[in-house]
Amino acid sequence: MIASSHSADKKVHQIAKLTNEVKELRSAFVDGRSKLMQLKKESYMEVVMKEKNISISLNPPTKIRVKSSKED
Amino acid sequence: MAITETNILNRLYFVAGCMFVFALAVVFKLCSIQFIEGDLYRELAEKRTVKHFDIEPNRGNVYSVDGSLLATSIPKYDIRIDAIQAKQTVFDDYLPALADSLSAYKGKSASYYKDILRKARAKKNRYFLLARNISYSEYLRMRNFPLLNKGAIGGGLIVEQTTRREHPMGEIAARSIGYERIDENNYATRVGIDGAFGEKYLQGKKGKRLKQKIGNGQWKPIADFDQVEPKDGYDVYTTIDVNVQDIAHHSLLGQLEKYEAEHGCVVVMDVKTGEIRAISNLAKTSKGTYYEKLNYAVGESHEPGSTFKTIAMMAALEDKVIDTSTVIDTKNGRKMFYGRPINDSGKGHGKISAAKALEVSSNIGLATIVNDHYSKKPEKFLDRLSKWKLDQPLGVSIIGEGQPDIPRPGAENWSRNALPSMAYGYNLTMTPLQTLAFYNAIANDGELIKPRFIRAVKSFDKNIETFKKEVLVDKLCSDKTLNEIKDILKNIVIRGTGSRMYSETFSMAGKTGTARTDYANYEEWKKDKKYISSFAGYFPADNPKYSCIVVIHKPSTQVGYYGADVSGPVFKRIAQKIYTDTPLIDEVNKLDFDNILVEQDFENYFTNANNYKALMPSVVGMPAMDAIALLENLQVKVKVKLNGSGIIKTQSIIKHQKLKPNQTIILDAS
Repeated sequence: MIASSHSADKKVHQIAKLTNEVKELRSAFVDGRSKLMQLKKESYMEVVMKEKNISISLNPPTKIRVKSSKED
Repeated sequence: MAITETNILNRLYFVAGCMFVFALAVVFKLCSIQFIEGDLYRELAEKRTVKHFDIEPNRGNVYSVDGSLLATSIPKYDIRIDAIQAKQTVFDDYLPALADSLSAYKGKSASYYKDILRKARAKKNRYFLLARNISYSEYLRMRNFPLLNKGAIGGGLIVEQTTRREHPMGEIAARSIGYERIDENNYATRVGIDGAFGEKYLQGKKGKRLKQKIGNGQWKPIADFDQVEPKDGYDVYTTIDVNVQDIAHHSLLGQLEKYEAEHGCVVVMDVKTGEIRAISNLAKTSKGTYYEKLNYAVGESHEPGSTFKTIAMMAALEDKVIDTSTVIDTKNGRKMFYGRPINDSGKGHGKISAAKALEVSSNIGLATIVNDHYSKKPEKFLDRLSKWKLDQPLGVSIIGEGQPDIPRPGAENWSRNALPSMAYGYNLTMTPLQTLAFYNAIANDGELIKPRFIRAVKSFDKNIETFKKEVLVDKLCSDKTLNEIKDILKNIVIRGTGSRMYSETFSMAGKTGTARTDYANYEEWKKDKKYISSFAGYFPADNPKYSCIVVIHKPSTQVGYYGADVSGPVFKRIAQKIYTDTPLIDEVNKLDFDNILVEQDFENYFTNANNYKALMPSVVGMPAMDAIALLENLQVKVKVKLNGSGIIKTQSIIKHQKLKPNQTIILDAS
């Protein structure tokens, strides 16, 4: 009885610790994600690529779509 | 001695009696505690060791249309130090290193940090703040600073964690994504999407769990289930497109900075669905930088100026009081209406067609049209505006929508001059979002749709609720009027007031606006002229995909103030971005082309390759490319020398001759 009660207590402490860890990891994830979002923004890319003399194209890309031969 | 005996007995009885009464009292008290006050005490005891705990639900996330996070809840950290926890020798040893680290982290000099930490210790401050509201990665960094890395007991580090709402996009669209804040008096501040949908979807429901106190400040659940299960908030998927938003934000910011304007906003809307793709609101701080201060696009009702002329023109066309070729005399740039002059910029346009009047944005032109045809019956014009729902708010989900004001006869701000003023966008107020919704309806074949910020509410992958477009008016006007207006809007960018933003590669249609603001005191206004520059329209001009409005308040008149110069470039940049992001599609039926010559060459090559292994084949007449490939792939290794290119004319070794290893074959081609 006493032993199992103690083991339950131990589990509670462990859960509290793990919950904290989950929060920390979540925080790390959002932190990373937010950094990534800043980095992949077009306005940021524009600034970085300017140093390499690369700028945004004034013309859209052209897609060539081949109608599949099964149709004919 | 008998007397003494009695005395003793009497005393004995007395003592025994007293003890009996005392015992009775004890029993009585026991019973009263157990049975009479029992419930009260049992409850008290339970309160001390057993407690109902609220289990906070996780607040839902806010996502963009492509699934990027716009708002989420994450832990943030406050770092404090117990300044007298560390031993004196330890404190002295690590103080310079800690001050250096803090200086590298926060920017002030190391001696400053040394000083304030010493003072904190001298004052016996056990709760000295080092950093507030820092992220997890910053917290990890700080935790490794000298002294702090000794932990709570050795160094006096105190870490407090709180959950805060975070916008991973930073400043971008901050006001429209918004937040919900509830203070200790339960007074809620609700801003933007997060605020509008907080109560209904994002918050979730608190759970309850019974717990018993155990050591170490921890509580242990009594049962292995929650008395009330918490329900996490739902996720809200908005209609915001991160890429369009990014471009909108930065091009608006660029123009505001260039023109040193007070504030401005830009909204991009999907024509067919009414979904808002981007919304940016920026205002200047006292330092001259810009930030998302208020949701101007939704909340600020102001005089729209020239962008309203399109609406006035459309009303006149639809009522058939004019057609696009009706000649209007705009005089030489100045005309009196009921004793008050109305001016056009420049020297005036003389006699022009109604369509031209809108193209060149003539105040006199529009005032004349409306005054000539509606002054006897202003209700006819006003009822038309009411039918188009311009006199009532759109009813968007974001809290705090501005109220439009279109005065009617009898109102305080109504006069004979009101009607001609209204024709060119004065004496009435509207929000930018309302104007945009109207231009969107023009682009959308006359169907007026309510602007929408939310697409779906989900719980993980399960749809809880999806939102469809809400039609406010099925058809604003006839197709004839619609096509006439569309033509004029297209021409404005080609040759009218918007010609400076014309682009050869992609098409746009829209109306410029340059309105005076804060002109109540005209003398004051003349000294420091203040304008609202705007541009409302859609793109591409034919088969429009997006509509967009840009409004910039109080640009510096020294730099410029015309709608086409101040607001136009923001519009153009967004139109260009969407144009360059949409691939042009070419369709081809199949990739195989029958070419008899090539086919024959291949057949020829193939038979030669199969028949000749060690003998010289005849390569005359073959393409040089095929001939070399054929010879180099023989079983005998030979060297091939080619003169010229094209078709082989002669070969140095005759047909069928046996080849020797490393023999050189010379081919002449032309």
